Amino acid sequence: MIIENEFPPYFEWLLAAGLTPGALWIWLLTNFLLLVAGLLGSFIFLTVRHGPAKSGDLIFKALAGVTDDVVHTSPRRVYALARLAVQEALRRRVLVGFMLFILILLFAGWFLDPGRTDPAKLYLGFVINATSYLVLFLALVLSAFSLPADLQSKTIYTVVTKPVRPSEVVLGRTLGFAAVSTGLLLVMGLFSYVFVVRTLDHAHTLTADDLAPKAPTEKGLVPPNKTGTTARHRHVIKPDQIELLAQEGHAETEPEQGHYHEITAVSRDGETEYRLGPPLGQLRARVPVYGTLMFRDRGGKPAEKGINVGNEWTYHSYIEGGSPAAGIWKFTGVTRDGFPNGIVLELSIRVFRTFKGTIDQPVLGSITLRNPTKPNEPITLKNFRAAEYAIDRHEIPAQFKDANGREIDLFRDVVSDDGELEIEIRCLERSQFYGLARPSVYLLRREGTPWINFAKGYVAIWLQMLLVTAFGVMWSTFLNGPVAMLATLGSIVGGFFVSFLQNLALNKSLGGGPVESVLRISQQKNLTEQLETDVTSAVAVMLDKILRIPLFVVSRILPNFQELNDVNYVADGYNISGDLLAIHLTTGLGYFIPVMLLGFLFFKLREVAK
Amino acid sequence: MQSQAVALDAPIAAEAPVGTDVVIETRNLSKIYRDFWGRQKVRALKALDLVVRRGEIFGLLGPNGSGKTTTIKLLLGLLFPTSGQALVFGKEASDVTKNERIGYLPEESYLYKFLNAEETLDFYGRLFDMPADVRRQRTAELIHLVKLDWAKQRQLKEYSKGMTRRIGLAQALINDPELIVLDEPTTGLDPIGCREMKDLILELRDRGKTVLMCSHLLADVQDVCDRIAILHQGELKELGRVDSLLKIRDVTEIRASGLNDAAKEEIRSVIARHNGQLVSMDNPTSTLEELFLSIVQDSEARPGRRARVEG
Repeated sequence: MIIENEFPPYFEWLLAAGLTPGALWIWLLTNFLLLVAGLLGSFIFLTVRHGPAKSGDLIFKALAGVTDDVVHTSPRRVYALARLAVQEALRRRVLVGFMLFILILLFAGWFLDPGRTDPAKLYLGFVINATSYLVLFLALVLSAFSLPADLQSKTIYTVVTKPVRPSEVVLGRTLGFAAVSTGLLLVMGLFSYVFVVRTLDHAHTLTADDLAPKAPTEKGLVPPNKTGTTARHRHVIKPDQIELLAQEGHAETEPEQGHYHEITAVSRDGETEYRLGPPLGQLRARVPVYGTLMFRDRGGKPAEKGINVGNEWTYHSYIEGGSPAAGIWKFTGVTRDGFPNGIVLELSIRVFRTFKGTIDQPVLGSITLRNPTKPNEPITLKNFRAAEYAIDRHEIPAQFKDANGREIDLFRDVVSDDGELEIEIRCLERSQFYGLARPSVYLLRREGTPWINFAKGYVAIWLQMLLVTAFGVMWSTFLNGPVAMLATLGSIVGGFFVSFLQNLALNKSLGGGPVESVLRISQQKNLTEQLETDVTSAVAVMLDKILRIPLFVVSRILPNFQELNDVNYVADGYNISGDLLAIHLTTGLGYFIPVMLLGFLFFKLREVAK
Repeated sequence: MQSQAVALDAPIAAEAPVGTDVVIETRNLSKIYRDFWGRQKVRALKALDLVVRRGEIFGLLGPNGSGKTTTIKLLLGLLFPTSGQALVFGKEASDVTKNERIGYLPEESYLYKFLNAEETLDFYGRLFDMPADVRRQRTAELIHLVKLDWAKQRQLKEYSKGMTRRIGLAQALINDPELIVLDEPTTGLDPIGCREMKDLILELRDRGKTVLMCSHLLADVQDVCDRIAILHQGELKELGRVDSLLKIRDVTEIRASGLNDAAKEEIRSVIARHNGQLVSMDNPTSTLEELFLSIVQDSEARPGRRARVEG
C-alpha cells in the first residue's frame, strides 16, 4: 500500500502549509464568500418582491433571528429532541440494519477466499466497507425522512409551538440520529473485530517428520521443511529455526500470507510434540517514519523527478534500471535512542517492465546506505528483489556486515551525528523501471496497537455518518422525504467524486466537460479524438466553459468523502496517525457547522404549517 | 327566530372585555396562500383586527375555510402573515419566547404515537426546560386531571380518539400556560368528555387564564365563550360578547314553575292588553346533552337498572 495523499502535521495543515494558507483560513474565506453570495442573492430576490428597504429589513431580521437562536440554544431541549429522534429511529426498525449486518457476516465466509496473499487485508477491508455502507445508508434514510414525516403528520405543530428554536429542532434531530448510528457503529465494530480475529485465527500441525532433513530431489535441490496445510497455506521452517527449536524449545516459522507462528517443543512421555501458536503479525498498525525523496537521473545528476512512463499511475516517478538513476531518501531523527535495535526498512516499490523478463521473478534492485556528511562513502547494504504489490521488509541491525563483509556500526558509520541517514534505491536490471514515491520507503518506528487502529478507522466512518446525517437533516428542512434523500445522496456521491469534479471544473478531464462528453457519445468519438470544427462543437465547448463555474463551486463546497475514508490504512496495516485523525475530525467539524447553520436558516425561514 | 339572526352588515361591536391586559392583538392581519410560482391561490384571511384580553374565553367561529385555523396558525407562528401583524403578549408571533406562556391543543392532537402518556408529557415538559422533579409532578397532576391514570403506560397508538384528545389537552397545559389555544377542543369527545372539556375551559378562565378557541360546534362556543368573532371567507363578520350578541331585544322571556292553566290564561290576557304578541307559551325542553348526562349519572348511581328519566 502506498499513501497517495500525504498530509502535513495538524497545526501546519490548520494554520499554514508552506506557501498555501492553512485550512482554517480557507474555511473562513469560503464561508465568508458563501455568506456574501447568499446575502446578495437573497437581497436581489427579495428586492424584486418587496423593494430594497423591506428586503434589507427581512434579511437583517433573519440573520438576527439565526444568531439569537444559536446563542439561546438550550441543551435540555436539544437533548429532549435528540432522545425523541432515537426513540423514533428505534420505532422505525433501525435494528433491521444491524440484523442485516450480522447476516452478511454469517455468510461472508462463503465469498471471502482465505487463501489470498493477505487475508487480513481482505477481511478488514470487507467488514469496514460493509459497516460503512450500511451505516451510511441508515443515516441517509433516517435523516432525510424524519422531518418531512413530522411535517406531514403535523406532529411538528406541537413541538414548534413550544419555546423550541429551529436550531434546536435541527440539532436535536441530527444528534439523535447520529447517536443511533454511533451505537450501531460501535456494536458493528465490535462484531467486526471479533469476526476478523476469529476468522483469521488458525493453527498448523507440525510433526517430527516435518522437521526431519529432506532428501534432495532429482535436480539436487533440498525441499524446505514445512508445517501442515491449514487455511490453504503452510509455513516454511528454516534450518536455523529447527536448530533453535532443538536447543531452546522455541522457534518461529517463516511468514506466509502476512503472518507467522511461534513453535514450541513440548516433551511428553519421552516424545517431543510441536505446537504452533496463533498467527502473529496479521493485524498490524505500522508507525512509519517518512523521509524526503530526491532523484538522480540516468546520467547520475540530481533531479526532482524520475521518468514519466505514462498515465499508468502518475503518483510514482520512475527510475531506469541498469543506470546510475536512483531514488534517494533522506531521513532525520535516526538516533540510537529512537531505534535501539537498529532500523527496520520497509519498501513498497512499483515496477514497470518494458520487457517480460522472467515473469515470476521480481526485478532486482539494490539498497545503499549513506551518511549525508560523507557522501563519498556509500555502504551497499544488499541487493533485493522488489516484491510488487507487497511490502519488502529489511532489518538493519545496529551492527551488521555490508555486502563486502565489512563490520559496520549503523549509528557510528552510517548515520550522521545529527541523526541523518540517506537510503538509495536503484534498479539493477536494464530497461526495467522502479516506480518510487516519497512514502515508498520508510523506517518502521514502532507497531501501534491493531485494535486501537481499527477503532480509529471506525472514527472515520463515524465522521462520514455524521456528515451524511447533517446533510440529510439540512435538506429535509425544506424538501420532502424522497427529494431530501436524493439531494443527500447527491451530496454523498458528489463528495466521493470531488477530485473528478475538480478536474472537470479545471478542464483537466480528458474528453472535455459534460456537454462535450454527450456530443462525443452521440458522434461516437473516443476521448482523445479531435472534435469537428463546427458550430455544434463550439457551442458544446462554450457551454462546458459556463458549466465549469458551478462545477467549481460545488467541487469546493462538497466534503471529500474519499479523503475522509481511512479503510486502506486499517486494512493495509498502517497506523492512522493522530495528525491525520485530527485533520479528519476538524474537516468534519468544518462541514458540520455550516451545514447545521444552513439547516437552522432554512427551517427558520419556512412555514411549518400549510 | 328571525330576530335572533345577527345583522352581518352592522358595524362590528367592540364591547368591553373582561380584563384590560391585551394578550392577543392582530393588526390588519392578512394571509394569502400562493402556489409554487408565487401566484395567489387563496386569500385565507383579509385584514383581521382583533384584540383578546386577559381572562376571557374567546371563540373564533365560522364555517370550514373561513380562516379560523389560519388565524390560529398565524398567532402561533406556524404561518407567516402576508401583511399585517400578529402579536401575542406584545411579541411578534414568530418570536418563540412567547410560547413559554402558551398552551396549544391542535385540531387532531398531533402527538408522537410511539410514546406513552407519561413519556409524552415528559417530552413536552423538557421542551419547556423544566427540571426533572417539576416535570414528574406536572405529569402526574395532568394525567390525573385528564383521567388517564389507568392508561398512562400505554403507547398513544393504542389510544381512542377521545383519549388522544385528553392527552393532547394535558400536553397543552404542561407549562401552566397563561394563554390556551384550542383548535376544535371537543372534536372526538363523547358527550361526557365534551362536558368535562367545557367545564375545564370555564375552570381555566376562572383561574385567570385566557382561552382562544375555534370551533364550528356552535353550542360549544355558546356554552363557554365570553366573546366571539365570526369569520366568513377570511373576513371578520361579527365580534362581541356572546350574551349580548345573542340577546333578542324585542322579545321577553318569562320562565316560571307551578302555574295552573288559569294563571297561564291570565298571562296571555295581560300580554294582549299591553298590545304584545305571544310568540309561544309551552313547557321548555331539555337539551339532548343534559338528557344524556342525567342518564349516565343515574346509571352510575344505580348500576344494572333502567334509568329514570322524567318524560
